Amino acid sequence: MRYFWNFNIVFAQIDLLLNGLLLGLLLAVASLMIGVLLGLFMAFLATSKHLWLRVVSRFYVTLLRNTPLLVLIFIVYFGLPDIYVRLGKNESFVFALSLYAGAYMTEVFRAGLEAIPKGIIEAGQAIGLTPLQICWNIQLPIMFKNVLPSLGNYLISLFKDTSLAASITIPELTYSAKKINTLTFRVFEVWLVTAALYIVACYLMAFILRRVERRFAIQ
Amino acid sequence: MLYFNKKKLFNLYEGAIISEEEEGEEKMKKFVRLSFLMSFCLLFVLGCLTGNAESAGKLQEVLSRGKLIVGTGSTNVPWHTKNNSGQYEGMDIDMGKILARGLFGDETKVEFVEQAPDQRIPNLLADKVDICLQFMTITPARAQQIAFTVPYYTEGIGLILSPKSQYKKYDDLVNAVKGGKKVTIAILQNADAANNVQRMVPGSKDDQYENQGLVYQAVTSGRADAGAVDLSSIKWLASKQPDLYVDSGFGFNPQLYGGGVKPDEQEWLNYVNTVFIDCMAGSTYELYNTAYAKWFGEALPIPAIGKPLMYR
Repeated sequence: MRYFWNFNIVFAQIDLLLNGLLLGLLLAVASLMIGVLLGLFMAFLATSKHLWLRVVSRFYVTLLRNTPLLVLIFIVYFGLPDIYVRLGKNESFVFALSLYAGAYMTEVFRAGLEAIPKGIIEAGQAIGLTPLQICWNIQLPIMFKNVLPSLGNYLISLFKDTSLAASITIPELTYSAKKINTLTFRVFEVWLVTAALYIVACYLMAFILRRVERRFAIQ
Repeated sequence: MLYFNKKKLFNLYEGAIISEEEEGEEKMKKFVRLSFLMSFCLLFVLGCLTGNAESAGKLQEVLSRGKLIVGTGSTNVPWHTKNNSGQYEGMDIDMGKILARGLFGDETKVEFVEQAPDQRIPNLLADKVDICLQFMTITPARAQQIAFTVPYYTEGIGLILSPKSQYKKYDDLVNAVKGGKKVTIAILQNADAANNVQRMVPGSKDDQYENQGLVYQAVTSGRADAGAVDLSSIKWLASKQPDLYVDSGFGFNPQLYGGGVKPDEQEWLNYVNTVFIDCMAGSTYELYNTAYAKWFGEALPIPAIGKPLMYR
């Protein structure tokens, strides 16, 4: 088979790809932030003394973690308008991705909370801290240090998940790549450049996150 | 008591301080990372090149394999869908069966491989399928990448609406844009998508989806005000599911549908062309006419004796 490589066609539209990359990053960061809040809330429910709170959290995690993300996106984007909930494209996607991320975060934070030695919390109680103070000054700081590596992992994973936004015509990297594909038919070149962009972006993220981890590591 | 060190947080981006003894280790790590990346790239390129081995020719390959492999889809009536028992059916599928009958005298000796529309060209080039029969529009740009068979249908584009929509026919859409309203048209992602949408409803916005099924989803869920799809599909859907779809009464843009094969397989291309021409204008005309009547609801005449059909 003969194949003539031509990367110029792709580089001529590199701004389309770079804009897509940026949008993907924004979507991932937005989803991560909402996901972290959701995950924190659900993790505290999961470690609560009350059975029904634990059930709520378990139900959420089981339901969301076992649904493919693409299905979730379609339900939010195509399904919700049927019950008169109409979010915009980006909002729909961030909503779906945060719900999904939240389920994973719940498990991460739950593990982080459970890994805190009981003695430290008891020490806090012994010096007369209120439950809220214990949570803010003891549980959260230790937990965040514990879970920082997995949080970083999920950010990278979420960033790659943003490629699914292409299915509801959000112009992120994968969508832009497909668009250039259909215009130029330079399939190999377009996907190679796209893969390289993903790799570079993820690698940079991992690099920065590694630095952050080292900074916050428990000595 | 433990404190969450906020000062440290602000120092975050000033970079970690690396001591001298760590530096050697750091260099080693960099080297390992770099070599990992390099080998990844190498694997990538090798992967692209391995599909290049010369074979004895596609026709012989298909014949000795004993079955034909057709790349197609499953989400577009009346071209290629799956029926309730999971069997592929549609006009593209029948063209595949006609080809299998020509090759082996048996229309069941064909395997349909499902692929997304944007995989049509890559799968041919990577030799994953023998032929692509997936309502493929013949375009000069595509013909630089793959070879097309003779066309087997002339398609047009129309606009499909939802009965729930505020727009009841084509003119409503055009007037809405003129009146300053935002009209969104869902369309399958393809080379002319943006252009075609502008030609149909000037000033409207195009949402390009990756498969036809999603275009219909967008219309029924109200995500798009109309869907730009093939006229053949609109006619089929509006007659079968009038509660979900309405024909806007608009149509334009003739385009030829042909099969796609890998370039450099002239013998194979000639063979497929022979079978296709024969079924449309020659001795096996009944096969094409039967399929046509089934999927487009129109009985074609028997090819007249004398000068061949396509030269009249």
